[in-house]
Amino acid sequence: MSQEVVETEEGLKIRKLVDLRPSTAKEYQDAILNRVDHFSKRRDSVFNDATENIIVKALQIGLQAKVKIDELLGDNKDKIHEIVEKLLFLGL
Amino acid sequence: MYHLDGTDILNEKYYKQTKSVCPECLGKIDAEILEKDGEIWMKKTCPEHGDFKDKISSSAKYYKWTHYAQRDKDGKIEWQFLKNGEANAPDCKSEDPRGCPYNCGLCDEHLSTCSLALIDLTNRCNFNCNFCYANVKKAGYLIEPSLEDLERVMKHFREKAIPAPAIMFTGGEPSVRADFPDICKMAKDLGFKEVIAATNGYGFQRKKGGLEFTKECFEKGLDTLYLQFDGINDETLEKTRGIKNLSKYKERVIQNCREAGLTSVVLVQTVVKGITDLEIGNVIQYAINNIDVVRGIVYQPVSLCGRITVEEMEDIRITNADVIKEVDRQTNGKIGIENAWYPLTTIVELGRIIGYLADVEPVEFTCHPDCGFATYLVVDPDSNEMVPIMDYFDPLKIVDFSNRFWRKIKHKEKEQIKLFENVLGDFGKTLDKGVNWLDKQQLRARFLIGMLQYTKKPGKLMEMFSRMLLNGEWESISAFTHGSLLISSMHFQDAYNMNIERTKRCIVHFGVAMPDGTIFEAPFCTMNTLHRPRIEKLVAKKMTAKVENEFDTAKGERVIDAQEVQDEIHPEVAYNGGTKKGEKKK
Ligand code: SF4
Ligand code: SF4
Repeated sequence: MSQEVVETEEGLKIRKLVDLRPSTAKEYQDAILNRVDHFSKRRDSVFNDATENIIVKALQIGLQAKVKIDELLGDNKDKIHEIVEKLLFLGL
Repeated sequence: MYHLDGTDILNEKYYKQTKSVCPECLGKIDAEILEKDGEIWMKKTCPEHGDFKDKISSSAKYYKWTHYAQRDKDGKIEWQFLKNGEANAPDCKSEDPRGCPYNCGLCDEHLSTCSLALIDLTNRCNFNCNFCYANVKKAGYLIEPSLEDLERVMKHFREKAIPAPAIMFTGGEPSVRADFPDICKMAKDLGFKEVIAATNGYGFQRKKGGLEFTKECFEKGLDTLYLQFDGINDETLEKTRGIKNLSKYKERVIQNCREAGLTSVVLVQTVVKGITDLEIGNVIQYAINNIDVVRGIVYQPVSLCGRITVEEMEDIRITNADVIKEVDRQTNGKIGIENAWYPLTTIVELGRIIGYLADVEPVEFTCHPDCGFATYLVVDPDSNEMVPIMDYFDPLKIVDFSNRFWRKIKHKEKEQIKLFENVLGDFGKTLDKGVNWLDKQQLRARFLIGMLQYTKKPGKLMEMFSRMLLNGEWESISAFTHGSLLISSMHFQDAYNMNIERTKRCIVHFGVAMPDGTIFEAPFCTMNTLHRPRIEKLVAKKMTAKVENEFDTAKGERVIDAQEVQDEIHPEVAYNGGTKKGEKKK
């Protein structure tokens, strides 16, 4: 990590260490997983709900596909979003 | 900036009239909020004490963005960041004809519910920071509600139609109380989803017993530490707290939380110009390096009290916009003022939709847009670097979609579908329940697809986000926040910049158990600016030498045995009318 020492107006020397890089991105994934683990120990946890787990998986697959489709659509993306929105609001 | 570049909004000068208070006599006076030289200022005149002006934001551009209103073709407002909440029934009558902010209680003028309940557990503290308003040594009397009082206040917040989801114990230093773990348990048992301690770390860092204390608090229900954290350099900490070698003290808190499994620490940095503002970037990096336990950072630009000149004010006043400019500068533009920050009210409609569709208590962040801004940092799997969450979403599209979606469905919250009840009686009621359930499922599907449209990246974080949308459960929110870093800036008001449009919408409320059996509920800012001295006099307990000399505040260490001090604090010394030490009781 980059580390520099800067001097304040009053001559105070302080360490500065900003580069916004975690030592590893894995720690973040682990932090989420550990939390899920923590809750899953309870029987009534939402993370043990079979139906929800299936829906979440389906949404993940849907999202992966959507990101790919967005790339293919390029500039037409906004138009497609508008059409989908119209469908989503239909009858509301 | 955001989507305002090139629009007329940026060219129009901002101007608004409001009400404020005179910093001298605290009387209610008119105030103007206006744009001048790229900044936003408040100007006001007290007939008796003259003119006052104060900087509200050092960036007119950013300020105008947070006061943005989306309009339709006919110019009608579709949505805006300034919102009114779903208020609970008032707790008291508005007796003062001057109105807000003198009728706290809460009164019927208040426009938001309470999202975060605050209770001062004590004004005893092992530190003696010079800018702290709540300290036994300065007050000359003791404030320490009994367990019965605390239960009354907690029930008050939980038994409302829209209960407060979270509670924060403040002080003084809450962890000097020997019964602190039991207080956490009481809060959990009464249903608070999130139990938080605003602490300098005292009880959690002790070399002897600190780890055990942390474990006990965690096991009994403490979820989060709001840890006072002004920087990583001893020199900075010594300047703000007057104690040497404090970085090791803070380090011990983090380490004990890690070992105890308490993985939700929020670093709270009081931002003082020329002292702690230099450490803004450092605190972000420290949080990133300790991401297994640090969930967020809250910057709190220092509030001003006492009488100061305009020149002095210009020297020390620091606004939310100054903070996010510093973040931008110290992170080399990676967390930019131009694209990363949104007012806290941004997610109100999203929360209402989730609350309705998942049948959970809604969380209403309907405070004023001037109160606070926030951003989430997440790891970009490609660069392995922390980036604002805006890279994962199209935030404005999501805000716009959820606002329009809520407008379309909000009537359903009040009127359930009744197709069969009138024809088939009780059996019809059961059928209607099924119809309503099906209706919610189809709405949920529409909403999820809508949100998916404006999501840009898949991954674990997005999995948690979709869970949050699906069930609105605290567990999903908690897991989501464990993979990200929430950075926010909350600027509390003082008598110089008080705006009653803000106080009326406050979502952070103190609760005090009064001797007559009632609960006094007041927004954080009005409590500290106006009501604290009067209320404290009514609930103060007698100060004793043991209480006064409990700590060596030059070192932050205990010198008198905790039990001995606790024994001094009998319930019968309560409610003595706040007689100060050496002052004769009338
Ligand atoms: S701040 Fe709220 S409770 Fe207090 S007087 Fe104003 S509207 Fe009433
Ligand atoms: S405490 Fe002050 S800054 Fe926070 S929401 Fe209330 S009025 Fe706004």
